[in-house]
Amino acid sequence: MAPGEKIKAKIKKNLPVTGPQAPNIKELMQWYCLNTNTHGCRRIVVSRGRLRRLLWILFTLTAVALIFWQCALLISSFYTVSVSIKVHFQKLDFPAVTICNINPYKYSAVRHLLADLEQETRAALKTLYGFSEITSRKRREAQSWSSVRKGTDPKFLNLAPLMAFEKGDTGKARDFFTGRKRKVNARIIHKASDVMHIHNSKEVVGFQLCSNDTSDCAVYTFSSGVNAIQEWYKLHYMNIMAQVSQEKKINMSYSADELLVTCFFDGVSCDARNFTLFHHPMYGNCYTFNNRQNETILSTSMGGSEFGLQVILYINEEEYNPFLVSSTGAKVIIHRQDEYPFVEDVGTEIETAMATSIGMHLTESFKLSDPYSQCTEDWSDVQITNIYNATYSLQICLHSCFQAKMVENCGCAQYSQPLPRGADYCNYQQHPNWMYCYYQLHQAFVREELGCQSVCKEACSFKEWTLTTSLAQWPSEVSEKWLLSILTWDQSQQIKKKLNKTDLAKLLIFYKDLNQRSIMENPANSIEQLLSNIGGQLGLWMSCSVVCVIEIIEVFFIDSLSIIARHQWHKAKGWWARRRAPACPEAPRAPQGRDNPSLDIDDDLPTFTSALSLPPAPGSQVPGTPPPRYNTLRLERAFSSQLTDTQTTFPH
Amino acid sequence: MHVKKYLLKGLHRLQKGPGYTYKELLVWYCDNTNTHGPKRIICEGPKKKAMWFVLTLLFTSLVCWQWGLFIKTYLNWEVSVSLSIGFKTMDFPAVTICNASPFQYSKVQHLLKDLDELMEAVLGRILGPELSQVNDTRALNLSIWHHTPLVFINEQNPHHPVVLDLFEDNFNGSASNSPAPGRPCSAHRCKVAMRLCSHNGTTCTFRNFSSATQAVTEWYTLQATNIFAQVPNQELVAMGYPAERLILACLFGAEPCNYRNFTPIFHPDYGNCYIFNWGMTEKALPSANPGTEFGLKLILDMGQEDYVPFLTSTAGARLMLHEQRSYPFIKEEGIYAMAGMETSIGVLVDKLQRKGEPYSQCTKNGSDVPIQNLYSNYNTTYSIQACIRSCFQEHMIRECGCGHYLYPLPHKRKYCNNQEFPDWAHCYSALRISLAQRETCIYACKESCNDTQYKMTISMAVWPSEASEDWIFHVLSQERDQSSNITLSRKGIVKLNIYFQEFNYRTIEESAANNIVWLLSNLGGQFGFWMGGSVLCLIEFGEIIIDFVWITIIKLVALAKSVRQKRAQARYEGPPPTVAELVEAHTNFGFQPDLATPGPDVEAYPHEQNPPIPGTPPPNYDSLRLQPLDVIESDSEGDAI
Repeated sequence: MAPGEKIKAKIKKNLPVTGPQAPNIKELMQWYCLNTNTHGCRRIVVSRGRLRRLLWILFTLTAVALIFWQCALLISSFYTVSVSIKVHFQKLDFPAVTICNINPYKYSAVRHLLADLEQETRAALKTLYGFSEITSRKRREAQSWSSVRKGTDPKFLNLAPLMAFEKGDTGKARDFFTGRKRKVNARIIHKASDVMHIHNSKEVVGFQLCSNDTSDCAVYTFSSGVNAIQEWYKLHYMNIMAQVSQEKKINMSYSADELLVTCFFDGVSCDARNFTLFHHPMYGNCYTFNNRQNETILSTSMGGSEFGLQVILYINEEEYNPFLVSSTGAKVIIHRQDEYPFVEDVGTEIETAMATSIGMHLTESFKLSDPYSQCTEDWSDVQITNIYNATYSLQICLHSCFQAKMVENCGCAQYSQPLPRGADYCNYQQHPNWMYCYYQLHQAFVREELGCQSVCKEACSFKEWTLTTSLAQWPSEVSEKWLLSILTWDQSQQIKKKLNKTDLAKLLIFYKDLNQRSIMENPANSIEQLLSNIGGQLGLWMSCSVVCVIEIIEVFFIDSLSIIARHQWHKAKGWWARRRAPACPEAPRAPQGRDNPSLDIDDDLPTFTSALSLPPAPGSQVPGTPPPRYNTLRLERAFSSQLTDTQTTFPH
Repeated sequence: MHVKKYLLKGLHRLQKGPGYTYKELLVWYCDNTNTHGPKRIICEGPKKKAMWFVLTLLFTSLVCWQWGLFIKTYLNWEVSVSLSIGFKTMDFPAVTICNASPFQYSKVQHLLKDLDELMEAVLGRILGPELSQVNDTRALNLSIWHHTPLVFINEQNPHHPVVLDLFEDNFNGSASNSPAPGRPCSAHRCKVAMRLCSHNGTTCTFRNFSSATQAVTEWYTLQATNIFAQVPNQELVAMGYPAERLILACLFGAEPCNYRNFTPIFHPDYGNCYIFNWGMTEKALPSANPGTEFGLKLILDMGQEDYVPFLTSTAGARLMLHEQRSYPFIKEEGIYAMAGMETSIGVLVDKLQRKGEPYSQCTKNGSDVPIQNLYSNYNTTYSIQACIRSCFQEHMIRECGCGHYLYPLPHKRKYCNNQEFPDWAHCYSALRISLAQRETCIYACKESCNDTQYKMTISMAVWPSEASEDWIFHVLSQERDQSSNITLSRKGIVKLNIYFQEFNYRTIEESAANNIVWLLSNLGGQFGFWMGGSVLCLIEFGEIIIDFVWITIIKLVALAKSVRQKRAQARYEGPPPTVAELVEAHTNFGFQPDLATPGPDVEAYPHEQNPPIPGTPPPNYDSLRLQPLDVIESDSEGDAI
């Protein structure tokens, strides 16, 4: 015999295969109900009376339904979060602080590039509003723009003509440049009137953008000429600047030494070397403090303004571009070191001749990602290529998405955002109709037609600095004189003139206290908690457990199936046998009961004899002695081991 | 004796377990327990038996594991937070108001005269003759100067920086490329630094500045601190701005108030500060309505023309909102209000209430912090700011021997000044930038459990308007100075509105995330889920274990007894007679037991057996059962005694 078979035989011998004890389904059910651990079933079988039984069936079924319902609720609410807010008092990392002058480039440096545009803007202003001489209060040195190129063809106004529309008659427009009335066959798009219903009571101003063939045109109108002219100027400005190289632009803008007059951090002097250059297309040279140079992040271990960053900025209003920016000051963005500063979107503006003190509170938030919410840790699960050199944020994603669509649809990239690989910034020379395309696309973006808003997810963790900004007059009357003269001495290398207080702005950025709040999402449920909740439900309604579940599987699936199978097998066998041998001799009936007249077997409890199933006493009876009353010998289990002895001695 | 009896009885009771062998016990347990698994082990076929055995073991271990997890979670002492936002009647915050300039220049001029002259001379030296207006022919008090002078450091040659005292034309370093006397240096060639010396000038450090502005400002502040530290407190208070000069008008809700409703407090940086609604002596005022009309309205006069010119360059009012009975750390948490402007501040009270030990490391009242709170002189509550400043002062006293002017003094200590502590400035500047000191303090101080912040929404407008300017100034001047002329100016006047916003509180309250009820219900849930068990099942199990122990004891004693008896008495050898044998022996005389085996049985009880009498009823065999137990019982009694 092979060893494998040997083992098999051994197993067979030791663990004989036995089917379910109950012969049919009904008995199986009865057995189950009587023996199961769940509480309802037993009552169904035990209780008497049809009504009671029905009631118990109803109760049991209700309990089962309730269990299912409650467990379904538990499982469906598994992915919920609980929020915890913690406060730590600790040394805090100082955020990166990006400071920009609102004016991107020194006007004296970029003027040669913008001369044509400036002239045409002034001309347009003259035709519509009837004034020509704009004299800047500050800028008196150059008024030479006047009539140098009178005869040249206006190229900017031809590309996108500025017009004024008369009330109620949008078909007719007055051209800004020529002053002629002309017919306009174009769709009129009222900028902003999509969201706000403005009743145009007066003349509206707008400009016309046409695609390559001039048949398809759109006119953008604004409620005020200020907006129209600024928007129009900005479009052309971007066009021009897109053709200038980065190095040239950096040189045209402000240097760090020029912008920062003094710098003080945590009680220690700092200077321009502590700032890194960051060139923004619309804001020129910005400087970032604490931008992880030398791989160390400065931290604060004391709250209060003297332990934060104190800078005095030099803002030269004389170099401001009159059409591009209309406010004076600087912009400050407080952000994470690896975050991209969105100067144009967020940021605090600071005023000149003022001390702006910005107190910060740090709040950190952590969200749980999939499957708890739709947020993302990094770029891995967003199908957008990052054109910024920074970690993920929703804003970066949206801008990247728009830029990608721009390149896709218009063939060139928008100027105020970084350049994707293999694309160029839009300009007239290469992409004559980009402005029309851009406006169309931008409108679609705002209306969420591009799908960017659905592709981009929010970031899972972010730091937020809550700012409390307050202003004070600086320098004070009595200190103005000495302060300005010594500041002039400090800046004498960069600036050759005497400083005025409106050229300066003081900025204080500090942690108000070192309390850091963290808002954290934690999973509200764990697996063990879910199981114990389900267990609680099962126990509450039916006193059930996993064992009961296994029992149910065993009884209702395995046993009943095997009973049915056996039943069918027997049926089939019987049918087969009847077919094979229709007349089969009856098997002799097995003898039932014991033929012992003297022995009466009790029905209720097994006696010693019946328990032993003793064979009937032999015929040769010992005379005289009656058989002992074995009933008295009903033994308890403690003696069961001795029974064999009794059995062996009995036949003598 | 009685006690012993009861003890014995109790012991006997306990012994009457559900069986006399391990197997019986286990079978009985499995049959009768309420946990679901074990029952199935005994009432099934061998295959299922094995399966159920494995399953039961598996479930038991699962339950134990999960219980371990739950208990561990419970012992983590996690908290859950609840957030509530709304409006309710609340105590109006305490409002501290200071002037940005600590003193009136007209009153401190005599103290600062020497220093100011020196400062002007310094400026003259730095700026050069054509830029400076002063002629430095006046006799200067150079004793202040020689203590901590400002120097030029010419770093054109980075290996040999030239150090040049501002008032000396000779050079300390190498004599190469000397600038012309009278115009020592220009900004791009030289940096201004401060020389700090200690131990009578033996060790010196230079504190470098990137700009001359910072250098002269820091130098002046250091010197002024030195001067003010020697002036007694009452005089300092007298030199500051009095309340009636500062506070021109006050309105709280509809109620008029005046400067007497403000509690004065002296702040080293800002001089006289005044606290509204501090709640120290009387009850705090509540505000029951949102909006400007129900808040605090103030008109202040900063008197900008009387500022100390070199000490403060920023003009405006300094204000801060804080809790009642807490010290205002106005330099850290205060905001500015601008002159000539109306500043409106909407307030939201952001409260965080934490549970203390063991949930978080916070302190209720600061009593368990190892640092003496120096601000307790003001009767204020504990705050971590107070702790950190006290800690700094403690370090300062330990290192430098004197207390810093900006922080309160411990008992019997003095503020630092140049006369008594000549090298304090050197010591202080080293301590100030020492990170180790700050970290020790951060480590030693604990946060307080209740943290209240006032979130402010600040907006500004020009005030007074040009049209109303004239009459407002007339009225205010008349009220304050009883003069018909205008004594105020737009440059000094500040209007403040402080009020509750529409939602005035946001309370974040911590509560225990996992309490004992949570733990029990989860333990019950787990036990019920896997095995259908309850606490009673655990008790059952404990009972079984006791029985088990008893059986073991019984067996051991029996073993010991039998060994002893075997040695002592030969007749106790062998197994006790079986019932059947005894039955035979007593009832059936015609029947003789097998002669080969019964030898010892027959001899076992010869003295106990009466001579057989025919017709005797069978003996009560039940009593026979006790035979082996009797032996043991007597033994265990012996053990118990």
